[in-house]
Amino acid sequence: MGADQLHGIPASPVTPVTDGYRANTHAREQIVMTNTVQHQARVRVNRDGVVMRRDFLKGLSTSGLAAGTLSWTEWAAANTDELRRQGKSCILLWMSGGPSQYETFSPKPDNQAGGETQAISTTTAGIQVAQNLPKLAQQMQHLSIIRSMTSREGSHTRASFLLHTGYLPAATVKHPTWGSIVAHEIGDPDNELPAFVRIGSSRRGGSGGMLGVEYNPFVLSRAGSKPSHSTPTTSKKRFERRLELSAKLERDYEESNAGQLVRDHQELARKSARMILSPKMDAFDVSRESGSVRDAYGRSSFGTGCLVARRLVEAGVSCIEVVSNGWDTHRDNFQRSKQLTTQIDQPAAHLVADLHQRGLLDNTLVIWMGEFGRTPRINGNTGRDHYPRAWTMALAGGGIQGGQVIGKTDSSGARVADRPVTVADLFSTFCKSLHIDPTKENMSPIGRPIKIVDGGKPVDELFG
Amino acid sequence: MRDMISVLCVSILLAGASRRLVGDEPQSAEPPGADARNTGPVKPDGPRPLAAAEAAWQIDKQLQLELFDGKSPETPRSNDQLFLRRLALDLIGRNPTPRESKAFASDDTADKRSAMIDELLDNKKFGENWARYWRDVILARQVDPRAAFVSRSVYAYFTEKFNNGSGWDEIARDFVTAEGDVRENGNTAIYMAQMGRTAETAAEMSRVFMGVQIQCAQCHDHPWDRWKREQFHQFAAFFPRVQMRSIREENRLRGYEVTTSSNRRSSRYRRSGEHYMPNLKNARSRGTLMKPALFATSQSLRTGASDKDRRESLAKWMTSPENPWFARAFVNRLWGELVGEGFYEPLDDMGPDRTPAAPRTMELLAEQFVANGHNVKWLFRTITHTQAYQRDSRPRRTFTETPFAASCPQPLRAAQIYNSLVGALGISSRSSASRSSRSSSSRSRSASSNYLRSAIDRSFNFDPSLPREHVTRSIPQTLFLMNSTTLNRAIDARSRRTSLGRLAAEISDNRALTTEVYRRTLAREPSARELQTCLQYIDQIRDRREAIEDIQWALINSTEFLHRR
Repeated sequence: MGADQLHGIPASPVTPVTDGYRANTHAREQIVMTNTVQHQARVRVNRDGVVMRRDFLKGLSTSGLAAGTLSWTEWAAANTDELRRQGKSCILLWMSGGPSQYETFSPKPDNQAGGETQAISTTTAGIQVAQNLPKLAQQMQHLSIIRSMTSREGSHTRASFLLHTGYLPAATVKHPTWGSIVAHEIGDPDNELPAFVRIGSSRRGGSGGMLGVEYNPFVLSRAGSKPSHSTPTTSKKRFERRLELSAKLERDYEESNAGQLVRDHQELARKSARMILSPKMDAFDVSRESGSVRDAYGRSSFGTGCLVARRLVEAGVSCIEVVSNGWDTHRDNFQRSKQLTTQIDQPAAHLVADLHQRGLLDNTLVIWMGEFGRTPRINGNTGRDHYPRAWTMALAGGGIQGGQVIGKTDSSGARVADRPVTVADLFSTFCKSLHIDPTKENMSPIGRPIKIVDGGKPVDELFG
Repeated sequence: MRDMISVLCVSILLAGASRRLVGDEPQSAEPPGADARNTGPVKPDGPRPLAAAEAAWQIDKQLQLELFDGKSPETPRSNDQLFLRRLALDLIGRNPTPRESKAFASDDTADKRSAMIDELLDNKKFGENWARYWRDVILARQVDPRAAFVSRSVYAYFTEKFNNGSGWDEIARDFVTAEGDVRENGNTAIYMAQMGRTAETAAEMSRVFMGVQIQCAQCHDHPWDRWKREQFHQFAAFFPRVQMRSIREENRLRGYEVTTSSNRRSSRYRRSGEHYMPNLKNARSRGTLMKPALFATSQSLRTGASDKDRRESLAKWMTSPENPWFARAFVNRLWGELVGEGFYEPLDDMGPDRTPAAPRTMELLAEQFVANGHNVKWLFRTITHTQAYQRDSRPRRTFTETPFAASCPQPLRAAQIYNSLVGALGISSRSSASRSSRSSSSRSRSASSNYLRSAIDRSFNFDPSLPREHVTRSIPQTLFLMNSTTLNRAIDARSRRTSLGRLAAEISDNRALTTEVYRRTLAREPSARELQTCLQYIDQIRDRREAIEDIQWALINSTEFLHRR
């Protein structure tokens, strides 16, 4: 809990039990408790007996305030943090396959390792990026580059998992992916739209894991189209009539000792119906944008994805992941990197500019990254292979001060020469930007507390 | 606020205390003695094996002594309709058909439930249903999507073993000693799911077959478990020579095979063929050499032992009666799935430092499972014969209430939902389509049913080891059932190609039509109130085909359809 604790709530009203056996039984029963109580008042108790603040606040309107146990001033004091978090969101531009740092944000034109790629100047004096990113170069005042990312995982599966969750894959705990964490921590439960939307096809992006299916990404396999099964097959009138009939026919089952099951099920049905009948579904519909806006983002699937992402941020969605595939450039790295960067340069640059122009950038963290970088060595197929030891990612918005470069590598880019940033550091940085407490523990189904980020320190220099 | 929290926590403590007291009541120190009805050969060591019905009787009696002051819990026995749907979904993974329901209802022999249990255990769908379950237990924990290579073969493996009456000990030994191409050897599934990684494989073998999550000790001594970090790594030392080797043809990945490092000396990862416990203070050091040892029985091997010795010894030791966790893990899981709550929860997190509900009952069941040669069908037969299984359904208890006082509703798994939809809507499944004529319409129907199966699998699957209160439904699942065009086409009552369309044409009486739709969808007849609601709805809509479509839609979107009581 740490800083996440609610004012006035004792850390633990229960005397700590030292006896291992009892402590265990106790913790496990509280988990059972969690589930029982959650249904009634949506108040959760963690293993130390501390009410999870967020859930507590969610439940306040029905329990705390109604019961008069908390005054308005106490409520407001408790709620300040909550209010500060509201309106925060995150867009993850995921470069699946591992983009080459040399051909994007860390060109090395003066070293053999840099290959044929040249560097160009940006809007920030002294910072250069690869010639492949002319549009992003024009947004450098909003961007920060970390050139000293370092990790150890060189396989796509494990590294994608690591860079999506902050953890390595394990058989026994399903770590939630970043968007699910954001949805869980800062998602607005009253929004009709899902809190985490993933745009594009992704085999290795992860899911809600131990947080539960309600935090899974809502997948939009093709940007610009409506989400699957979001259109009733009948008229709206008949659809609503069917829902009504369905609720009516549930009554017998509800009264035969299945009350809670039916209420949960009907609640979900209402939520689903509310979503697809909501005017906010228009956020998925890019045809509502003018031709010039669509052109500014680019009409490619990634460009459309970025435009949908911006529309979803406006509609209160907390995290949107937009996937760009094909960055695994073992062959023809230079030519293919050129094609790939052409696909993302304009859309990503315009996304940042557009968010800025609409006053959304301060509250929206934009992340550009893949699972690792690529080798300094150019292989026999003019390709570059996987390289987790020293790589690059970029950030914008969400309180990040633009126009900065963090860390550097040696002359060939083989090693981090200054200010190494680990994956845990990076995730702590994301958390800081979104006002999420990285030390908060969520409970795995076997009652194991898992911190949102395991260690690491935020890159404080990034914040103004 | 402060008060509310303290009250909560005090009640948690009290509840914990009272539950322990119940379990520790000394009144039933001895398991009930064998009575005159016991038959079967007497084994020299261990109790004599009881037939399922006798064992079930003893289990109920023991449960009463342990939890209900020797009396019967108040919850009545389930009615026949509810029992049959529960049993059919549990054993063969689908709803009973209207014909089966009618036959069962009109059967007035005293042991008809017992006969139905036998009949369903002999149905080949039994093996298929539980093969899907165990496939999911293993593959839900995959660390790499390439584990899909073993998906078909592990399903085929379990189907055959469950249907031919194999023992669980034999299956476990197969899994530990597995070798070869994963596409042909389903018993390689745990190695494949963990990509042969030593620590992960060890963690899964322990979790799946012993219900012990000793991997928590992988990095640190767990504060409340007696098994220490070193013991986890000794257990891992059974597996360092196992490797997954990719099978490539024409430069394309076609599959994997389980092999051992003696076949491939060049492995850059495990040159030594030994397992080392990492030094947590110094990641660069090699760590401590571990000899293979089984934490549960303290049996061990020397370092340097061959892969064959390691895995064969482990297979033998793990499944021997000396290791109580092996039988307990299976008994606990199955009891949990069938009765709705395990003796230990979560089902795969047992161990000497956890307190089971009704420990003596569990012990009795586990001993009998061993005495009956780890016979899987025997265990299904025994549990489904108990009153604990056959009682009426009540909501999941709060933890202050006594466990096993009633059966508990379970959310259906993906395959059960698919089968129920196929039964309700008459969508032809692949096997029946391939038997029928090869007209284009049957091909397209079969294609749509394949699509349906995979769409439902993708959308509704959950890790069966999760405590059921963690299994929640999602918006995409709900939207799928509401708005899938495949499903909505299948409930088109104007078409002669759908079963609803044919039904609407054949049955002119709305009451009879509604009743038949209920039978097909929920395996029961509508209550008087439900019937009235439906008939009024049909009157109100006027167009009876449109109305019956809406009724069918409402039923497949109902809570009852997605759960078994």
